[in-house]
Amino acid sequence: MFDTSRLTRFLPPRMQSQIDAYFEAFEVLLSVKDPKVLGALGPSGVRGLLLHRGKQGTPTDMPATHAAHFDWTYPSDQPEMADLYRRAKLGQWNGDDLPWNTSVDPLDPEIPLIPEEFLSFEDIEELGIKLDALERRKLSYSMCAWMLSQFLHGEQGALFAAAQVTEAVQFFDGKLYGATQVMDEGRHVEVFNRYLDTKLEKLYQINDNLFVIIDSLMTDGRWDMKFLGMQIMVEGLALGAFSTLYKQTKEPLLKELLKMIIQDEARHVHYGVCALREHFTKHLTERERQEREDWAFEVALLMRNRFAAYEVYEEWFEGRMTRADWRNVVYRSQGMEEFRTVMFSRLVPNLREIGLLSPRIMPRYEEVGLMRYFGGLAADQLTAEKLLSDLH
Amino acid sequence: MELDKATIQAETRKSGGAADLLPARIVVRLEALVRDVRTVLNDFTGARPAPYAVRKPLARHLLAFTTSPSPTSSAGITPRRLRVTRVVRETADAVSLSLTDPEGRRIAFVPGQFFTVLVTLASGEILRRAYSISSLPDEDGAAAEVTITIKRMPGGRASNHLNERVAEGDVLDVLGPSGSFTAAPDPAARRHLVLIAGGSGITPLASITRTTLAREPESRVSLVYGNRGEADIIFREALASLVETHADRFTLRHVLSEPPAGFTGRTGLLDHDNVTRELDVLAAASGLDAGATDYYVCGPEPMMIAAREALLARGVAPARIHEERFSAPARRTTPALPTSSAPIEIRLRGRTKTVTAAPGQTLLEAGLAASLPMPFSCTMGGCGVCKIKLLSGDVTSEEPNCLQEEEKNQGFVLACVSRAAAPCTVEVP
Repeated sequence: MFDTSRLTRFLPPRMQSQIDAYFEAFEVLLSVKDPKVLGALGPSGVRGLLLHRGKQGTPTDMPATHAAHFDWTYPSDQPEMADLYRRAKLGQWNGDDLPWNTSVDPLDPEIPLIPEEFLSFEDIEELGIKLDALERRKLSYSMCAWMLSQFLHGEQGALFAAAQVTEAVQFFDGKLYGATQVMDEGRHVEVFNRYLDTKLEKLYQINDNLFVIIDSLMTDGRWDMKFLGMQIMVEGLALGAFSTLYKQTKEPLLKELLKMIIQDEARHVHYGVCALREHFTKHLTERERQEREDWAFEVALLMRNRFAAYEVYEEWFEGRMTRADWRNVVYRSQGMEEFRTVMFSRLVPNLREIGLLSPRIMPRYEEVGLMRYFGGLAADQLTAEKLLSDLH
Repeated sequence: MELDKATIQAETRKSGGAADLLPARIVVRLEALVRDVRTVLNDFTGARPAPYAVRKPLARHLLAFTTSPSPTSSAGITPRRLRVTRVVRETADAVSLSLTDPEGRRIAFVPGQFFTVLVTLASGEILRRAYSISSLPDEDGAAAEVTITIKRMPGGRASNHLNERVAEGDVLDVLGPSGSFTAAPDPAARRHLVLIAGGSGITPLASITRTTLAREPESRVSLVYGNRGEADIIFREALASLVETHADRFTLRHVLSEPPAGFTGRTGLLDHDNVTRELDVLAAASGLDAGATDYYVCGPEPMMIAAREALLARGVAPARIHEERFSAPARRTTPALPTSSAPIEIRLRGRTKTVTAAPGQTLLEAGLAASLPMPFSCTMGGCGVCKIKLLSGDVTSEEPNCLQEEEKNQGFVLACVSRAAAPCTVEVP
């Protein structure tokens, strides 16, 4: 990416950051090759990246345009979804039962929230910023609170999207299953919110890129786009993020909380694969399929590259290093590398399974180094046990 | 920059003072536009909003508690930690400990319930003992602070530890609250509760007395309380002050076996005859309406048996008699522990899973270790929540426990105090 700081270094730091942010946003939009995809992502991009609608200090209203699909004959149409529904009912759990009496000290070096090497302090030091032991722990605490805040915001999106998908989906077994997912997402909001409020006592604003993805799929009227966005992309992202943190944290309450959530998420992605496989491979024209294939690729890139924790940068380093420097620190960090690996090793096989990884798009995935995940198991062949055991 | 509603309204009013004249839809759009423009300008010049906000526990989190153990608890037997905020010596041999949640969550309980306290001795051995709550909950059924009262037992390792060692600021591991020896308050009730207590059996009845008098303005409470001497009476002053406050609704009758000079109450043990005489006095004073009187009995085993016989002899319906039994651990028989592991087939909500119990492991521990959502609460045979049905095979159970004869005859056992003596099949109801 173009380092704008060479041109803007004579400006005040605040303004330098802003110009870098605009360049980054333009680069995202320019990289989209399909005009239809640009049409779908563009307005959300403006609302999120330029207008920071998620950070204006007021609630955000996102208009919905999908149709609620009623079926008065209640067909038993999807045995695989009916089975998921049965399993989802048995898998319900109560957020109050987590060991909330665990006392959490975010700065305790014995029980770190995230490992010390999650961010590379050497990379930060090379930029002339030396952090002592306490500052390092505080920065790790900020990173962890930032991640969990984004999980919480993402779960709020997931809660509403799950409700919309339940209305819009055309399979009746899917609607019943969808009701359990709404409950699951509500519980996830509950426990992340409770953890942040009572244990970390800190809540970060929603990241602009996350806002773009949520805004885009909440306002898209096509049910399969909501599905693709929510069940495959965002749930895949969530699974990657939760799994990474689950593996790395030493804090027992957080670990238990994430373990319970990962078991729910495994069902959610499975549902997405069930619903979309048939639709994409049998009911769409090639042109429509290609549009979805491109959209998924763009969103995958957005997710891979753009979660750079700029909110933590503003808190810690604005004026001490450039925004581009921070971005490099985050991208090179061991924690983010781990996150990308887990996320794409789940996401790529799922895209293959639902028919959105045809030979046409493969070269582009190859170009960004993602084809190595092609051979993995898709969500319908994965169990929660497998997911968790992979992490040990 | 913080943009509160007042600023926005001021902005729109400034733009011509016409906000009131414009349709609401337009005003909303104008406000959004002002916010958008201001946000973009702030990106360059002004102060952006702080990237994060400091948060405190919300009411939603503070009030989040489970009133009963959740049957889907998958966290194993995880005790909750409560901090001792006050230590009050009630008598030479009894101490009250006030407990609060370190995170400020309130504790839900029903008057009459008990906590299972996990006492860790200096040797590292963990003892489990049930101690009843003696305080009353707030009107919503929970309290920020609960008090348990512990009477020292001769040679009792847990009760002596709690009487001597525990100080303010200490943390206790507890399970529960559990138990169905309860009287949930009902403000509309017009009933008469007759409570018969012996020694430390007063603890749950003290909670029931306090709660009923405070929350049921139309109900009456009569307490017959047996002790050895005056110095052994737990809550003596507190009970006397309740008599003063509720003279018309609360009757207190002490029975002492070693009375001091000048004692005017009944003397002797609470045996069949003395219980009958006390009930006669209550009947003469206020009547014991069979349809509106409930009897709660808690005390040493001989007193419980005598009270039950006396009540039945008067024609009291068994359903009106509530009893709480705590066996002194010294008298509890712990059967020889099985020395080999045995497979246990557990049927739960239509699913069947076979687990292997390690030698000495209870059925409950074996089930929980296999992540089965087995229900439980007190884990010491006192509450009956973990009741399961033995379909085949053989188990050994610690006795006595709270199962009734009828339940035993139907094949029920308590998972928390039973161990497999042979391969067996059980069903969780």
